[in-house]
Amino acid sequence: MVDAVHRFPFESMASRCEIRLAAPNAGTAEALAQAAIAEVRRIERTYSRYRADSIVSRINAAAGCYRVECDAETWQLLAYADHLYGASGGLFDITSGVLRRAWDFRKPRVPGPDELAPLLALVDWAAVRREDGAIFLPHAGMEIDFGGFGKEYAADRACAILQQRGARHGYVNLGGDMRFIGPQPDGRPWSIGIQDPRKADGIAASIAVSQGALTTSGDYERCFDLDGKRYCHVLDPRTGMPVSHWRSVSVLAPLAALGGSVSTIAMLKEADALAFLEASGLAYFAIDSAGNAHHHSISGDYAS
Amino acid sequence: MTISKQTPQELAASLLAAALLLPGVRAQADEPPQNGSISLRYLDYADRQPGLDRIHAHSPSVSVTAPVAGDWSVEGTLTADDVSGASPRYHTAISGASHMQDERKAGDVAVTRYFRRGTLTAGAAYSTEHDYVSRALSLNGTLSSEDNNTTWAFGLAGSRDSINPVNHVVVDEHKRTVSVLAGVTRVLTPNDIAQLTLTRTNGSGYYNDPYKLFDNRPRSRRENTVLLRWNHYVDATGGTTRLGYRYYSDSFRIRAHTLSGEYVQPLGNGWTIVPELRLYSQSAAWFYYDPVYDATLGAPFPPGFSNGADPNRLSSPDQRLSGFGAVTVGLKVAREIGKLWTVDVKVEGYEQRGSWRLFHDGSPGLAPLRARVLQVGLTRRW
Amino acid sequence: MKVRIFFPLIASALLAQAGCTTVQPWEKGKLAKPEMTFGGDRLETRYADHIYTSREAAAGGAGVGGGGCGCN
Repeated sequence: MVDAVHRFPFESMASRCEIRLAAPNAGTAEALAQAAIAEVRRIERTYSRYRADSIVSRINAAAGCYRVECDAETWQLLAYADHLYGASGGLFDITSGVLRRAWDFRKPRVPGPDELAPLLALVDWAAVRREDGAIFLPHAGMEIDFGGFGKEYAADRACAILQQRGARHGYVNLGGDMRFIGPQPDGRPWSIGIQDPRKADGIAASIAVSQGALTTSGDYERCFDLDGKRYCHVLDPRTGMPVSHWRSVSVLAPLAALGGSVSTIAMLKEADALAFLEASGLAYFAIDSAGNAHHHSISGDYAS
Repeated sequence: MTISKQTPQELAASLLAAALLLPGVRAQADEPPQNGSISLRYLDYADRQPGLDRIHAHSPSVSVTAPVAGDWSVEGTLTADDVSGASPRYHTAISGASHMQDERKAGDVAVTRYFRRGTLTAGAAYSTEHDYVSRALSLNGTLSSEDNNTTWAFGLAGSRDSINPVNHVVVDEHKRTVSVLAGVTRVLTPNDIAQLTLTRTNGSGYYNDPYKLFDNRPRSRRENTVLLRWNHYVDATGGTTRLGYRYYSDSFRIRAHTLSGEYVQPLGNGWTIVPELRLYSQSAAWFYYDPVYDATLGAPFPPGFSNGADPNRLSSPDQRLSGFGAVTVGLKVAREIGKLWTVDVKVEGYEQRGSWRLFHDGSPGLAPLRARVLQVGLTRRW
Repeated sequence: MKVRIFFPLIASALLAQAGCTTVQPWEKGKLAKPEMTFGGDRLETRYADHIYTSREAAAGGAGVGGGGCGCN
């Protein structure tokens, strides 16, 4: 049946989010959307740094002291983070969140090496011990956070819930990271604009997507400009300084968690990003610091 | 974990495998959404020449397209033509015109298999009327490049017709044809797509019109067509121009040019308007004879008949094989109602005149033919 | 006569050369519109083909496999 498309905007994970889906009537659409939004909020609560009772806060509070037992979901997220660390050559490191203490993107100030050095000492995923279903952060002050793929993971979970309940057309958009349930009700793909990294309401490219996920990492989400140089929130865990080679990297992947990880790692890899993106086998659209687009498309699977 | 060195293939596979291990990110595997449609259409056609109303046809038809099992689709059409009226027995002579009334039923079915980079379609068609039965089979395929910007098409078809005219001029005649097609479609720019198609048909058998006098045509016909089409999207208006040119030539030595153009303009609120213009010009068949008759016997005898010309010589006084030009002017108005329904109405006027032939003189002495066409269509998608 | 043979060759060469800058998947939104495809309404195309085949000598062009009729 060709149903009407219902839209459900909401706020979560410090971003503007939206669920769009087609359903026979508004009541069904509302019920489906509420189930998906509830799952997104659950993940936000469970993995939030800011809630003292979340598993992440408990793990961080125990740093340098004792092991914390993890549930199955957290354990698998940690395993995925570990795989990404290996695949990125050590650049994707979920302990690098401590660098946030030196960088405040609301003020255009570059921290000096004496501020970064003690924090860099706490960035060391290789030292984190995971065994018997429990995790131990060896040094006091170490932190983990799932900001690198948490939103994308939530998008995949929300989409799976909607698909299991019969939704066939629509998408879940969490702050620009999108996972598609299926094409538009008449079968045509969704036409999604990739944000122009330098124009707030501009589009750099328009992609037709029917399924899978479209995720973007960019230097414009949290950033400041100082003396003509852009400082963005994607920090190299080895130096503590922002990466600058790419303005944005968008990836098409079967899962948002995969696409989000790959686009973030590409930003971190800077000059080696294209080789990494080619190796990942995914379609991508990347804009470098000069504003030039680099792209590779795999036709037939996700985009038309 | 230590940093591992992986080959590119291993990296891609391992990333995807790792992501798939995340809990609850995939729903049960399911088929992609599919859609089909059912269309009803009605045609009312009437043509005439000065002083004589000729053929009138009413034709309802129905067509259904349905996706099947993910990689297949089936399409079927049924048509019933109710045709009646008068046809000149030679040239555009009004007196002695034959009156007829006939019902033609036709149906066809096609099954398409979709592959990653192409399609394959097998089709069968059947039509029957009092004096003519036609059966046809076809196989068509398409193949697209990796970037989907170029699509090659090829086709093979054959038909066998049985002819049994009601006036018993001949009994149990046959006509067979074999056709091949090769074509390419190319995306040129984000606003332009073009297509070139070549076809060739070889036929043998009965080509005469049994209801016309002195109609004796060759027993074989070889036909070639070259069709060039171009669709262009106009950013300024949101409309689309659809242009086409076809060159036709055959062993009857008929050469024809067809230039057609349509402009599709969406108007908002689901309305679309489509004006169209078609120009056509053809040369006469070499065995066609003008309405200049035998000096002794007069109409409808071809010149030289009374002098003992070979009675088996090829000839035809059929207006359709004369040299002429024709113009079609039409307008279609369509409305999308909700997401499921589309309704449209189309009106066309057609006129054919010997003097309108392009580049050369057309055949003289024939009355102009005018036709009006009215169509109404309804489509429902699911 | 020779011009008649060259024309399709030239046209196909032009078509193969044309559009040398590849159109990317995200630029194909407009091409997906039904009016930009070459299919058209199936029944509408059939009626047109049938009318013109029964009033003019030229036939076909876009496809093969339709079958014939004893149209007057």
